Order: sequence, then C-alpha cells, then structure tokens
Amino acid sequence: MQKGEMYVGWSTKDDVRKRGGSGGLVTSMLAAALDKKLVDAVVVLKKINEFEAVPIITSDINEVLNSAGSLHSVPSHFAKLIANRNLKVALPAKGCDVRGIIEQGKRNAINMENTFIVGLNCGGSMHPVVTREMLEVMYKIKPEDVHGEEIEKGKLIFKTKDGKENAITIDELEEKGYGRRESCRYCTIKIPTNSDIACGNWGVTGDLVGKATFVEINSEKGARLLQNAVDAGYIQVQKPDEKGVAMRTKIKGVMEGLGQKWKDKIFVPMDNRLEYFRKELEHCIDCGACKAVCPTCSCGDVSKCTEYHFRSDAYKMSMYHLVRFLHLGDACIGCGQCSDVCPVDIPLTRLYRRFANPIQLELKYEPGMDTRKPPYFEVKLNE
Amino acid sequence: MSDNVYSTICPGCNFGCGLYIRENGSLGVDFRKSSPANAGKLCRFGMSLPKFFAPAKSMIDGVETPMEEAAKESAKRISDSKGSAAFLSLGNTSNEELLAFQKIAESYLCTGVNFEALPKDTYQTISIGIPYSEIEAAKHIVLFIDPYEQYPLIVRRLLSAKNKGAKITSVWWKDLTLADENIRPDDISKLALTQDSIIIADFHPLSDTEQVKNVLSLAKNAGAKVTFLKPFANSTGEYIISKDAKQKSLAQLIEDINKGTIKTLFALESDISALIPSDTLSKLKNLIIQAGQASSAKANIVIAHEPLYMKKGTLINNEGRVQALGGSGTKGLDALGIIAGSKFDFNTLHESIKKTIGITVVDEFTIPKYDRPAYGAIQAAPKPVEKKPALIDVYNPFIWFNLADDNDFVELNLNTARALKLLKGGTLKIKSNGSALEKKFKVAPVQDNVLLTGKSLGIEKGIITPVEISR
Ligand SMILES: Cc1cc2nc3c(=O)[nH]c(=O)nc-3n(C[C@H](O)[C@H](O)[C@H](O)COP(=O)(O)OP(=O)(O)OC[C@H]3O[C@@H](n4cnc5c(N)ncnc54)[C@H](O)[C@@H]3O)c2cc1C
Ligand code: SF4
Ligand code: SF4
Ligand code: SF4
Ligand code: SF4
Repeated sequence: MQKGEMYVGWSTKDDVRKRGGSGGLVTSMLAAALDKKLVDAVVVLKKINEFEAVPIITSDINEVLNSAGSLHSVPSHFAKLIANRNLKVALPAKGCDVRGIIEQGKRNAINMENTFIVGLNCGGSMHPVVTREMLEVMYKIKPEDVHGEEIEKGKLIFKTKDGKENAITIDELEEKGYGRRESCRYCTIKIPTNSDIACGNWGVTGDLVGKATFVEINSEKGARLLQNAVDAGYIQVQKPDEKGVAMRTKIKGVMEGLGQKWKDKIFVPMDNRLEYFRKELEHCIDCGACKAVCPTCSCGDVSKCTEYHFRSDAYKMSMYHLVRFLHLGDACIGCGQCSDVCPVDIPLTRLYRRFANPIQLELKYEPGMDTRKPPYFEVKLNE
Repeated sequence: MSDNVYSTICPGCNFGCGLYIRENGSLGVDFRKSSPANAGKLCRFGMSLPKFFAPAKSMIDGVETPMEEAAKESAKRISDSKGSAAFLSLGNTSNEELLAFQKIAESYLCTGVNFEALPKDTYQTISIGIPYSEIEAAKHIVLFIDPYEQYPLIVRRLLSAKNKGAKITSVWWKDLTLADENIRPDDISKLALTQDSIIIADFHPLSDTEQVKNVLSLAKNAGAKVTFLKPFANSTGEYIISKDAKQKSLAQLIEDINKGTIKTLFALESDISALIPSDTLSKLKNLIIQAGQASSAKANIVIAHEPLYMKKGTLINNEGRVQALGGSGTKGLDALGIIAGSKFDFNTLHESIKKTIGITVVDEFTIPKYDRPAYGAIQAAPKPVEKKPALIDVYNPFIWFNLADDNDFVELNLNTARALKLLKGGTLKIKSNGSALEKKFKVAPVQDNVLLTGKSLGIEKGIITPVEISR
C-alpha cells in the first residue's frame, strides 16, 4: 500500500461494522494501531447520547472499539487535546482537526512523526443546543426519541425510536438559522487530503453503501496504518470502482462550490470596518475562552495578547482582541470553535475570517493544509 | 492510559453552567456544549476553575491527619461545645449533602441569607427563579444587577431577548452596554413597569433586605415577574431544602459570635473569609471547615475531601433545573455521617430530594413544575443613598470565593476623574474610617462620585461604603 492509492473497506468485527458511521473501518484501524503498538494511545469520542460525547485519550482497545459512529452534533476539536503531551497517538480528525494539528506541529507543540491522523470527510457539524431546538421546532420530535441520523440528497434525516424517518432539506433548516454551524457552511476542506489517510462515505457504491468507507492514502504513515489494520485482521479492503471514484470527486466539487457561495454571502464587503468590529466586540467579558479553545494558538498563559491587556484599560478595542486579530491573520483555520464557546455569543469566527480571508488570499497561504511555514514566522523587521 | 474526565457544574454561581473537568496531571476545563443552561460557554470564573480547585488537606490544629480523624475530632468538639455551636452552609454543595447537613444543624442553621426579615409568602418567589427561556421571550427586562460582572452567562440571554425586540432597562450605578435605558438607583421613581416586565435582581448574604422588599413590591404593584439570581452553586437547592427549617442570618451569626454565645462554627463548603470579619472569626474557640478545595480562612479543623466535580449528587440552578453532578464520590457525606454519629445513605437522601421537588428522574433538560404562589402587599423602606462619594462592591464569583484576578482597580467616571484632577495611568486615594489606600482606576460611565470595585478592598462596611477620595 502506498500514498495515492484508494480503497473501500470495512471492519471485520460485525458489531463495529454495524455501529460505525459507515462500516467501522476507522474504529478498527485505530484499534489495530493500538493493538500492534504503532501508537501508545488513541483519541476517540466517548458517546453519552446522540448530542453529547467527550473526547478521551485512551490505551484501552475496548474503549476504542466502543466509539464507532459519527456524531454530527458534537463539534469537538482534538488539536489542543493532544498538544504538549508528547504522545505517540492515532486519532480521527475532521478537516479542521487536521488543520489544527498541523498548525500545532509547526509550533512544536505536536510531534507530527508520532501522530497518525485519520482524516474524516466532513460536510459539517452542528451545535448540540441548536440541534435540540431544531428537532423540537422544525421536526416536532423530542430529542430523546432520536435514534440516528443521516444526510441524503441534501436532506438531514432523523430516525426516531418508533422507526420513522423525518427529513427536511438542509437549505430550509439553514435558512431558518438551524443546521450546520456557520463556519461549516463556508468551510472548504471537505476531503482532508492533508491527513495521513482520508476516510468517508462519499464514493461508496452499490450494496456497500452505509457498510463501508472509502479511503485515500495521503502519506507513508497512512499506508502503514491501513496495512497494519489489514495484516492484523481488523479490516478488509478492496479496490473502489471507477464510478465511486468519480462520484466522490463530483460531490467534493459540489460541496466546495456551496462553501464558496456561503463565503460570498457572509463576507460582503463593508465600509467602516472598525466600527463594525467594535460593535460586535462590545459585550466581551474578557473570559479568554476564545484563546483557550483556538487550535492554532500554541501560546500558554504567557502570550502577547494577554500580557499587554489589562482589565483596567479603557481602550475602545482591547489589546487582547487587536493582537489576536493580527496573530490569527495567517493562522486562523476557520474551525468555528471560538464562536462556539463565546459566552456572549460574539460571532468571532466571522470576525477572524474578515481579517484572515484577504491576508491568506494575498499570501497564497492556507494554514493547516500543508507544512509550509507560516508567513508571519518569516517576517524580518529590518528588511 | 485514560484521562479522567468529569461532567460537572460550575461552582462559581447558581447559573448552572455545565462543563467537563479533565485531569491529566494538572486540571483542565473543557466545554460541554450540550449543557442546557450555558451551551458549554463559561465566564471568566468558569475559565479559572483549575485555580479554584486547589486541593485541601485535612488538619487538626495545624497537623495533617486523615479525613476520618478530622471528622471525629470535629464531632467531639461540637458535642463539647454544648449548644454554642453554629452550622453554616451557603449552598455550595449537593442537595444530598445539604439534606444530611440540615439534620446536624438543627440547633443553629445559618444559610447566610436573611429570610427571617422577609415576608414568609415571598419565600418561594425568592428561592426559585424563572427559566432563562422566559427571560429570552420577555418584552421588557429590568436589571438590578450588572450582568457582565456578576452573572455573565445571563448576558447572551438578554441579548437574545433584545434581538427579539425586548427593551432592557438597567437600574445600576453604571451605564450598561446592553441597556436601552439606564436609570440610577437614586432615580428609581423613573422606572416604569408593566405586566410585561421581568425584573432580574439578586439575593445573597449581603443583600439589603429593604432593597429586596422594594424589588418585590415594585413587581407586585405592576403585576410584573421577578427573578433572583444567586451566587452559590446550589443556592436554590439549599433554600428549597431549608424552607421549613429555622434559619439564622449571617448578621445574626456574626452578632452571636461577637457576643460569645457561639463559640464553635462548622462551615460546610463555604469560604467564610469573604463574609465574616477576621476579628469576629478570631473570637471563635473552634472553626471547623469541611471543604473540597483549599479555603483562605484559618481553621482549627479542616475536613478535606473530594472537590465538587468528583461528587455524586444533584444541584438545582436559578431556574429550578435539577442537574446531576457527574462524579461518584460520597466522602463529604461520610464525613457528615461521622459528625452526626450515624452513617448517611446516599440513595435515601437522593430519593427524599426527588420527592421534595416532585420528580421521579433527574433530567437536566426538563425544568420541574414549581408552585409560584403570589405574595401579599409589601411595605419597603429602602434607604436613600447619601450624596457623598461611595465605594460600591460589585459582588462577583471572584469576590465570593476570594480568588485572585486582574481586578485590582476601581471604576469611576470622567467627571469624578476631572474634579479630582486624576492623572491618566495614575492612582486615586480612598479613605474610609481611618483606613486609606491607593488604587488604579478605570474611567467608565459610572454615576458621579461613585467608585465601583470588583475586588474586595478590605475597607468596606457592607456593599456600599461612604469614602473620601482624592488624588
Ligand atoms: C461531523 C462529521 C461529518 C461528516 N460528514 C461527511 C460527509 O459529508 N461526507 C463523507 O463522505 N463523510 C463524512 N463523514 C465521515 C463519515 O461519517 C464516517 O465517519 C467515515 O466514513 C468513517 O466511517 P467509519 O464507519 O469507518 O467510522 P467509525 O468506525 O464509525 O469511526 C468514526 C470515528 O470518528 C470519531 N468521531 C465521531 N464523531 C466525531 C466528530 N464529531 N468529530 C470528530 N470525530 C468524530 C469517532 O470517535 C470514531 O473514532 C463525517 C463525519 C463526521 C464526524
Ligand atoms: S469547520 Fe469544516 S471540517 Fe470542521 S466541522 Fe465544520 S465543516 Fe467539518
Ligand atoms: S480564531 Fe476561531 S475560527 Fe480561527 S482558528 Fe481560532 S478558534 Fe478557529
Ligand atoms: S470568548 Fe467572547 S467574551 Fe470571552 S474573551 Fe473571547 S470574545 Fe470576549
Ligand atoms: S456564570 Fe456562574 S456558573 Fe456560569 S461559568 Fe460563570 S461563575 Fe460559573
């Protein structure tokens, strides 16, 4: 097996295959890596219910095997979880997780040699509180009655315990303020080619739909992960059919186009930007959560944004925010975590992207997509 | 290898913010985005919890000892004190522990607050607040708090109400960014309420009783709703459980210690250093503190056990929402059992709590139905504010829990700064009853001659302290 190859595969363990998002390949690959000592630990989500799961770092194979399944209402992020812990680790990762991990790697907080990234294709995730409200308001079903969900032909379908399927188009949901988090709508990394191996259900055809995952090997580490799982008897793979490969490319293109449309819709040019930023930030309570959660920030307690900021300052915009806007210009990956955690609901990702979009376009630099050094690292003041 | 992750509730106030505490050598805070009260969001205090949860050690007279020994010695000293022991709990622990505590504290129970001075028929209204969703749906909201400083997670609910068209009136010493109308507390006569108004005030050990009555009376006369936010993790649970118990106020407790009728004080999960003056505390023969984290008060006996996030049990937030603590620890109950002389059974207490609230299962997504009885007319005589410079303590979690923060400054307005010829970046002298100190200041839209502080400066006499100020 080598970089560039594609396969369709599934778990050889029936229950894992059944519980898995699509065939349980990811779960079994992670378990095999632990079993055969490719890694010392694995990150998985420990499911509490359909709308809640906690990320854990574990060396317990059973805990890994129990974690099968995709949780679309769990917008977690794994980069900071594994940063500064010097782990030999394998983990599942949505596009934004992969980008965060790569950026932490550039800042020496994660050793990329020891990190095996299993990328997950990602059409988007939802905030659990928004999902609950959406179920009650739009679907008229109790969140507790939900027994699973899937996305098919642009519709978000919730299955209830009584066996019924309830479908509404994602467009309609998002029109009403529900559906995916805003950052996911304009996120353009749909297939994480920056991971070691990219996995998803796009491209799985025929009888295998829902029972297998399509994988693309992106690195030598990815090839080792997959080969190890096959050799250890955890998974089974076959070559994908051409139709599947073409379909996957097509859906990726459609999704990227949709992302671009959202981007154009949200980031309309504006006059008086300073006033806009000030107004949006006026309720900030200085909690620091947006920094703590930011997967591309690797500063600890001592950082420029906090060292030059005092609560006794009466600036119209705090040094904390000014420094962060500057620092995130080349680093923001648009993961949406800052908006998720802001206690006063400031649409922070939108604000950071307002700075980052033009800067990253101008510098032709997309953070977290490859190992290129961040342009700001290379700025020399006396040139 | 597997991290210990606890799903828990922030102890910083009674808002009921859910979060995860992660243990991996050190403590970390993770966002529990599915938590109904806060959608996983936390304020500055919630973000500081790793500092708050500094581990405590059991001690007898300064010597480290196993928890059981500390509890046994406490039982002995309480029994030796023959009626001169008082029991204080502000409501920082589970309902189950509080119920056990109440059995021990029958002779002298202090919840910190002064229900005795308030009409009995207002007890329920004060104890149990209204759901945040009702606040979001309100047409007119009147604030008798500074939401940003005191109960930060209410801010997003207020902004959401505002987005839906609500008008927000603030009755406070400082203009609030989110308010459409800012009225100073002295100008309360300008406040216009209707049946569509919801008043948000707060209730705690330092609340001015006349002011609480005044708020209740304003609501009553206008047919408006009123909700009281509270500063301790389980204030609501504590008040529900203690409804029929005889409760002493904090002022009464301080008086009794000063008089010498109370010589032993047992404080359950309550940092008293922010509340009881040190010269009063020094009059005690025995100060016994039972807690899950280090406390700043100097105690004769410390009974230390697991922190709140490791405990098993339930809390009730401002809305009346019953929330499960994610841990499995019952050491706090074990210690209380040793003091009571008979073991407490968690399940029995838990069932009893559910019965009191009228629920069969603990479901954080459903707020139980509570009686919301009307109360009779109230005569209130709020003290007029003196037109002299005053220092006003804006009580927030950092003050209540004596936790260090970047808050060592006072806020005052430009007029005051100019009148005193204060220099930018300089300091201000504050004098009160012979004490003097110098503080940094921040210019903010505060009432003339008022200084606001988010940190206790040590010269205060209650919430409002008359002071002299100069450059
Ligand atoms: C939010 C989300 C959106 C997705 N959208 C698409 C899509 O549009 N198109 C597509 O082709 N594929 C998408 N996928 C991937 C797909 O659902 C399957 O995860 C993938 O095919 C692997 O299936 P599996 O059965 O091998 O995985 P499993 O064996 O079920 O393993 C899944 C792994 O993912 C982890 N996981 C579950 N939820 C999350 C989460 N929210 N964040 C991070 N890790 C998580 C689990 O802990 C587990 O380790 C998405 C996945 C997620 C999590
Ligand atoms: S930001 Fe992108 S990769 Fe991350 S959850 Fe949203 S859509 Fe998926
Ligand atoms: S600024 Fe916000 S969106 Fe950008 S990387 Fe940080 S957390 Fe993600
Ligand atoms: S998360 Fe929100 S409130 Fe907290 S510091 Fe950031 S912008 Fe301010
Ligand atoms: S609002 Fe209260 S409960 Fe919520 S994080 Fe802040 S202190 Fe904790």
